[in-house]
Amino acid sequence: MTSKTYQKKHELWLSILFASFAIEDEAIKSRLYDFSQIAFRHMKWIGTALLESGSDYNYDREMQLLKRESNFEILKALQEEVEAFSSEYDNSVLMQRVRTDDEYLLEYLSQLLSDAKNDAKVTAFSMERKWDDLAQEQVDALTLFLFEESYKEYELILVYAYMQARTDDTLHFSVFQDLVDESHFHLKSFGNMMARLGILALPRELHPMTYIVKDLKKFIVDGIAEEEAAKEMCRELSDAIKDEKLSKFFDFINYQESYHIELMKKLL
Amino acid sequence: MFEDVKMPEGMSPQMLEHLMYPKNYGKLDDADGVGVALDEKTGEYVIFYTKLKNDIIEDVRFATNGCQDTVVIGSMYTEMIKGNDTEYAQKAIAKMHEKLGNLSPQQQICADIVFTAFIASLKNYENRQNGHDEELHALKMKESCEVKDDNSNGEENDK
Repeated sequence: MTSKTYQKKHELWLSILFASFAIEDEAIKSRLYDFSQIAFRHMKWIGTALLESGSDYNYDREMQLLKRESNFEILKALQEEVEAFSSEYDNSVLMQRVRTDDEYLLEYLSQLLSDAKNDAKVTAFSMERKWDDLAQEQVDALTLFLFEESYKEYELILVYAYMQARTDDTLHFSVFQDLVDESHFHLKSFGNMMARLGILALPRELHPMTYIVKDLKKFIVDGIAEEEAAKEMCRELSDAIKDEKLSKFFDFINYQESYHIELMKKLL
Repeated sequence: MFEDVKMPEGMSPQMLEHLMYPKNYGKLDDADGVGVALDEKTGEYVIFYTKLKNDIIEDVRFATNGCQDTVVIGSMYTEMIKGNDTEYAQKAIAKMHEKLGNLSPQQQICADIVFTAFIASLKNYENRQNGHDEELHALKMKESCEVKDDNSNGEENDK
């Protein structure tokens, strides 16, 4: 197990996650999302094992989200990626767990691919950018918001996970976990919205300057200011978008951001 | 190149492309110059990697924790200067300022942080050429995204 193992699992987590966003079928989407969460835990456990053995890991990636046109294209690509990860298995208890999870994911993918009814056109990369009755300027505002915030949620997941893996403080550990969980939900919400708009894209890679935090207090103070900015964006979007369901969704996210600030204050 | 950029008013297909697939994004392990522009107030930074051969910018990368405007401008600017000489790259800054003239003050600051990081990478290259053991050159931004008055540019770091 090396930092390359970690990197490959990071890439696999994203591939499963974005496959779940891209596929419209709710049952497949939901199941793949569950598998993506399992992959994220694998990644976390591999990171912990590397730290315990005196090694380290980073958030480098060498992957692209290719524009696929059908469910089966996505599922076959995912199948190949899961199979490729098998070169990383060793005899440790952790990697045996990872292996059995991955084998069950491969079994699920095979089941899906054996039934033509599971295939469908994928519109997540169409660039169409239509959302019910929203005017183009509202769609533009929504587009910018989704790019801004999907990156931010991905960044927060990785930064908090990085700090969580390195803290001995139980309160900090618990707060980091809450914040990671919350950001997973936000990333899921925004990723599915990006797919609906036809603009699904990976968040950009994190540079070490972003996730290696030398001054936690400053990071949290800046983070609170960012949460305030995100709240303001949600509020503005909620006001600007003439769609009751969307507007209520952004109000809901806005209130969640408020509680994130309270959680973050516990770290100060 | 920037005729279609209309960031404040709307979203062109070109801008969407840069948002979805930022060009020249990431690290460059064999860079000759590495520069950072840092907004200390917000913690926002841009890091710029420049690989030079006889004054020609052979390769370039950038990364940021900043907003999407910073990403789009960084993506466009790196595409513009890659393969050209450093004199062109510095003139391109003025050209981009001209083309992006209708930006909001905050977006103008995003452009400035990208350009400042590039200038810092050239400074790092120059320092290395002069025998200094400098991993990267950092410039602090005078103006933060949160401040809306005055013009902004980088100022020398204390080190």
